Amino acid sequence: MTAALMLDGLAVDFSGFRAVDGVSMAVEQGELRVLLGANGAGKTTLMDLISGKTRATEGKVLVQGRDVTGLREHRIARAGVGRKFQIPSVFSGLTVRQNLEVAQSKRPSVWSNLRFALGMSEKARLGEVLELIGLEAEAEREAGLLSHGQTQWLELGMLMIQDASVILLDEPTAGMTQGETAKTAEIINRLKGRHTLLVVEHDMAFVRDIAERITVLHLGRVLAEGNVAFIENHPEVKAAYLGKQGIA
Amino acid sequence: MAGPLTNYRFWAYAGFAILLLALPLVGDEFWLNRVAKYLCYGMLGAAVALTWGYAGVLNLGQGLFFGIGAYAMAMALKLKSYTSLQQGSDQPVPDFMLWNAQPGAPTELCCITPGSWMWLPFQWQWTGVIVAVVLPAILAGIMGRIIFGQRISGVFVSIITLALVLLVRLVVTDAQPLTNGFNGLTDLGWLTVFGHEFDPYAKGTYYLVAVALILVLGLSRLLVATRAGTILQATRDSDTRALYLGYDVPAYQTFFFAVSAAIAGLAGMLYVIVSEFASPSFLELSFSITMVVWAAVGGRGSILGAAVGAILINMIEAHVSETESLVEAWKAIIGLLFVVTVIYLPKGLAGFAHERIARLAGPRAALQLKEEAGQ
Ligand SMILES: Nc1ncnc2c1ncn2[C@@H]1O[C@H](COP(=O)(O)OP(=O)(O)OP(=O)(O)O)[C@@H](O)[C@H]1O
Ligand SMILES: [Mg+2]
Repeated sequence: MTAALMLDGLAVDFSGFRAVDGVSMAVEQGELRVLLGANGAGKTTLMDLISGKTRATEGKVLVQGRDVTGLREHRIARAGVGRKFQIPSVFSGLTVRQNLEVAQSKRPSVWSNLRFALGMSEKARLGEVLELIGLEAEAEREAGLLSHGQTQWLELGMLMIQDASVILLDEPTAGMTQGETAKTAEIINRLKGRHTLLVVEHDMAFVRDIAERITVLHLGRVLAEGNVAFIENHPEVKAAYLGKQGIA
Repeated sequence: MAGPLTNYRFWAYAGFAILLLALPLVGDEFWLNRVAKYLCYGMLGAAVALTWGYAGVLNLGQGLFFGIGAYAMAMALKLKSYTSLQQGSDQPVPDFMLWNAQPGAPTELCCITPGSWMWLPFQWQWTGVIVAVVLPAILAGIMGRIIFGQRISGVFVSIITLALVLLVRLVVTDAQPLTNGFNGLTDLGWLTVFGHEFDPYAKGTYYLVAVALILVLGLSRLLVATRAGTILQATRDSDTRALYLGYDVPAYQTFFFAVSAAIAGLAGMLYVIVSEFASPSFLELSFSITMVVWAAVGGRGSILGAAVGAILINMIEAHVSETESLVEAWKAIIGLLFVVTVIYLPKGLAGFAHERIARLAGPRAALQLKEEAGQ
């Protein structure tokens, strides 16, 4: 089976500074891969390269075997890549339900959206996702009025309903309380299997909750790859996190 | 489908339509003629709301599309004018072209002044009608593709549109032999449909404009209620998010920009039918800015609100101008009105009304909305 997401020698050169410097990795169908690395290691930049926000100067990105390198952002999104940014972004003037409706639309052109009703199966799926992210009671509220945690969950819900085959999550628990983090871990665990995930996260307790395999980035390169125990005891990884006594 | 919230919206539109259609019962022809002009402005308010309120794109050159609509219609009606038929040619020739012609130039529409051949298709009145609506849409389509395609947004769009309308104004006033320059196009004939002449001071003409406005408001409201309309509002809130959901954001912005331009063109066309002139003052910056004020006061988030805002402000202005001492102060009053709404009623009169009604309907409305969703 082809890997859901395949990176081959991906690199970007910011006028001499290589923020991502030849990263190759394969994420299998339905896998949840955690991306670790110190501040400035190039995690966000790597996601920028995959999703088309930044153009790669070298290397290739394959999504479900299809080469999407150099395509524009909305085209890459249509090829099946969904992305959540470090700063949560939802449509603040629309209701929670409308946010999900927009994310759900299968056909992206203006003309095919000059219609009103959702189909039965679409409605059912929308209800399902509302339940999964625990926002049924907020369905008719304006998204701009949600709490920080709720906003993050709504954005996760949008990625679910968008039905992206590959989902990129950049620090999904940043700024969350412990309770909110636990709920987020639960949501992410339910995404596994149906979607392939690449998750950037600093919180090790959270990583232990969700991770199968971990890839460690350091100075734009892959430093190590393996399961949680392997990474936690990896000498070079420990060294890279010098002064932090391993990954805390 | 119809809950209390959707219901009151429907009744607001229906009530407005009934009011417009009933006005001829209470007013004379002169008053109706004046109201018809305000209804054209109402259409402009709706056009501004569509781009500014729903797409988050503040077009400071909406007058360009209004102007194109006005000039296209005026060219056709100019050729129908009695004076144009009296220039001793088989074809009608506008009187001002004669005054501007080089000595010895043939008195023919094809070649009396440089570029006068552009008027040839307008001998058929429907050319004017079609061009008035279609040209603004096409132009907006091209502008949109370029501006939004380059991911230009916010104040830069406003500056570009503003510059463009001023540029066109310069060209129009400069091309005296073709456009009659500063004087604009006056002394026009009447639109004739199936033998019926639209006398600007007849009730029939008022109804033409009123029905057009009702249709524009109704259709625009339906348009923003489609999924495309929701997606457009989504691009307004976060174009990046929309992009990463796979939407070609510039395509959505361009589509609604073009619809708004077509509405403005239609408004310009009807305005000419009612007022019997087209003038480069339509292309002045102050006019385009005034439209924005109408929409802001009425409520840019509401198509109907913006239209009502335009109509009300103009009615008040007409009253004020009857009081000598207030005429001078009017510009200051309108400026103040704008500042006060922006600060105290950021969503305009419509937003204020909406909040009141939602509060009154309260929990019942919320419940009904849930039931609708559950179906
Ligand atoms: N457009 C750019 N131009 C120049 N340098 C950039 C650009 N984008 C990122 N960088 C640099 O690349 C490096 C990697 O940044 P990146 O944001 O990918 O790190 P990160 O691993 O996500 O860190 P954090 O954990 O702090 O979010 C940083 O040194 C950053 O300053
Ligand atoms: Mg980062």
